Amino acid sequence: MIHDLKTRKLSPELIVRIVVGVILSIYLGWRIYLSIFGDQAYGPDTWLRFLITGLVIGGIYALIAIGYTLVYGILFMINFAHGEVMMLGAFVGFFVLEAFAALPTPTEGNPELTFLNAYPVIALILVFIAGAAISALMGYALEKIAYRPLRNAPRLIPLISAIGASIFLQNAAQLLFGPQRRQYLNPDLLARGSGWMIQVGEKSVMLTYTGVFSFVLSILLMVGLFFLVKKTRLGKSMRAVAENKHAAALMGIDVNAVISKTFIISGLLAGSAGVMWGIHNGLFNHYVGFLPGIKAFTAAVLGGIGNIPGAMMGGMLLGLFESLGPALLGIDFQLKDVIAFTVLILVLVFRPSGLLGEALSEEKV
Amino acid sequence: MMKTSLKSATRTGMIFGLVFIFLTLIGFIVVGANMFGGLFVKSAENQNSVRVDAVNLLVFISLFGLLSGVVFQKRQPDAKWMHVVLGGLFTGLVIGLIAGGAVFLIGILHVKGIDLRNYLPNLGPDTIKFALFHSTPLSAAQTYLIFFIIFSLAGALLIKVISLGDGLKSVFDQVKARAAEQVDSQQLRDLMKNKFFLVGVGLLVAVLLYFLPLMWGSYWNYIMGTVAIYILLGLGLNIIVGYSGQLVLGYVAFFATGAYTFALLTAPYPHAIGLNPWLAALLSVVVSVLTGLLIGLPILNLRGDYLAIVTLGFGEIVRILVRSDLMTPFTNGPNGITNVGQPSWLGDVFSDVNYMHFLMLIVLLGLFVAKRLKDSRTGRAWIAIREDQTVAQATGVNTFQYKILALLIGAAFAGLSGALFASRNQFIGPEDFTLMVSINVLCIVIVGGMGSLPGVVAGAFVLKGLPELLRELSDYRLLAFGALLVVMMIVRPNGLLPDRTTWFSRPVPGKDQKNYDEVNQ
Repeated sequence: MIHDLKTRKLSPELIVRIVVGVILSIYLGWRIYLSIFGDQAYGPDTWLRFLITGLVIGGIYALIAIGYTLVYGILFMINFAHGEVMMLGAFVGFFVLEAFAALPTPTEGNPELTFLNAYPVIALILVFIAGAAISALMGYALEKIAYRPLRNAPRLIPLISAIGASIFLQNAAQLLFGPQRRQYLNPDLLARGSGWMIQVGEKSVMLTYTGVFSFVLSILLMVGLFFLVKKTRLGKSMRAVAENKHAAALMGIDVNAVISKTFIISGLLAGSAGVMWGIHNGLFNHYVGFLPGIKAFTAAVLGGIGNIPGAMMGGMLLGLFESLGPALLGIDFQLKDVIAFTVLILVLVFRPSGLLGEALSEEKV
Repeated sequence: MMKTSLKSATRTGMIFGLVFIFLTLIGFIVVGANMFGGLFVKSAENQNSVRVDAVNLLVFISLFGLLSGVVFQKRQPDAKWMHVVLGGLFTGLVIGLIAGGAVFLIGILHVKGIDLRNYLPNLGPDTIKFALFHSTPLSAAQTYLIFFIIFSLAGALLIKVISLGDGLKSVFDQVKARAAEQVDSQQLRDLMKNKFFLVGVGLLVAVLLYFLPLMWGSYWNYIMGTVAIYILLGLGLNIIVGYSGQLVLGYVAFFATGAYTFALLTAPYPHAIGLNPWLAALLSVVVSVLTGLLIGLPILNLRGDYLAIVTLGFGEIVRILVRSDLMTPFTNGPNGITNVGQPSWLGDVFSDVNYMHFLMLIVLLGLFVAKRLKDSRTGRAWIAIREDQTVAQATGVNTFQYKILALLIGAAFAGLSGALFASRNQFIGPEDFTLMVSINVLCIVIVGGMGSLPGVVAGAFVLKGLPELLRELSDYRLLAFGALLVVMMIVRPNGLLPDRTTWFSRPVPGKDQKNYDEVNQ
């Protein structure tokens, strides 16, 4: 609009941005060049390890980011409590796994066997179903209680409500389940710290089972979502509502039902991401949703908010930035969270529509 | 009608039953029961703790049941008597079954010796015995059922009786209208304009403010000092969020900058600069403003949600950087800074009473500045931007400039409060500047009422002072905070003391000609 027209011309602001951008890129390029070809602090095996970590975490980020993007695409609000939905998934998965581990299923060969290790595949499927289902329920309830009454309020209002819901859920989890960090009980099939060894030069890198499992599962879920949105009737109505709520309602689409289903779908994905997080990383507590939530939002913005392939790509990229970034830029690993936030700021400053996003109209930004 | 009544009763009952289970699982029933029970039942001299526990819990259950009945009845105000009675009974039945069932289950597990504390840490033996009235699970469950049924019926009937005809309601409305008339009367207005009256009230308040810190001891000085610092923070954020409508979630970044600047300049370690505290405070304001400029310039063109997340990111970056190994030689990392300098006057270091007086002065000054800013041309420009940025721009307001200005003034407030915080606490560390600080301040602004100055003061007292009064509830503070935010946005999005001078109350010609001319230039 007014602002866009102004920036089309070479305004001083744009020139400053370009200059800063160029200087920044040159500096970053130099740091990356130094760390790869300069002092060679890391061997190829380490780089491969970073790459694997990045892809696995990226898959989890992508799943959460899709939830942000779906909701943002329809309601133009940041579902701030989305990270907490993921946290709930992690807790549910933990409890179900504990229950399975306590359920004795003795066989002839091994009388001490538990259900978890007797039928690991069924157990894992049930764990994911439970985690995803409870998270989906949470997403549904969240929309119904905290967001639906505010559907027509100014945009600041639902955002604050979402922040409130996020604080509430986080503290509810802390009060209910205690503040301590907990350890996921994986079935032996997916024991943490075991995996395939890959020879790289003289050293070997472990490709953990949990990592491969999480990555494959996240890709499968993303493909499933993609088909849901592109091929099914529900997906069609979701896209219609995202395009224009009033027109969609005039075409006979039940907008409220579609919005509820959108929250359910994003809850399903976030819940699966939470279980995956637990299975892959092991330790978690009630804060587990906060940082991944914000980073996944970053990922959604990076890919172009409202754009589903964008969220997937953004999640992967952010995972990679985070695991490769500190090494590439030669900075401390403590600062990896800073990288995510810096990426967010840079994207918003230099390309607010994201990598894959189209320029949004004023109403949607 | 019957069917909807029962449906509504079931829904209400289920919601309340689940809430009751939740309260049990987080251990709130013990704290809550003792608090509410203590309000109604004065404990005897030689108290039998078992009996006191039981009575307190019964009071709590009764109040809860009463509330459920009230809520049920409020949902359908003109139901028939029959439906009220049945619905009330049914609501109580559903809650009783859910809550009683849960308590029964927990009790059975407890009797069988299964310890759930590993998963639900609040279900210790004491809590369970408390919830069971120190008796068997079955009789406890029956008590729950009976009490819930009786009291939700009572609650439903109560509301029905109150709303009978238009008796009480119209009386209430009349009283309200009469009171509004009184407040709005010409006499009161004249009184408010009477200079002698105003000076008198001002003097009274000043005397009160002077003597209060002398009397209430160092503990209350500490609490009220915190409230004062948060009022100052709230005033600053109010300028950014309330006046100019920019949602900034990383306000703590400026607070941290101010505090760290002050601490690093005055503390003996890690730099031993030993600057005069007054000068250091001035410098921390300057540094905060510069930080605001640095953060604001690239991002202020973003709107709403994006701005919120980016500023949140900045707040976190500042905290992570401060505690990282990279910055440890400069900021002393996670260990924080001790022995921060204190302000002094004529060679004497401030005592806590002096400090409280000083804080009061600063807060009054801050209120004055905020008030004058709001009524100025700048303030009107901010409000125009808040209401509609595009229109404001079209009417010739340089939106970017004014938004930056709001951010910088807000940052200055935060820098000053940071310096005060550091010098009063004598110690600061990176964990003093978490995201929760930003959210606390935001809540103060929103709960009080966006853009409203009395709202900020009230919000700071409610959110920072009240939790200190209710210390036994401190575990549940954040939980209540989150719920309060959601409920507030749904029920009363304008806050406790909403800002009355909205965009619609523009100056009228003749009445305040000067403002009118200025607006219509």
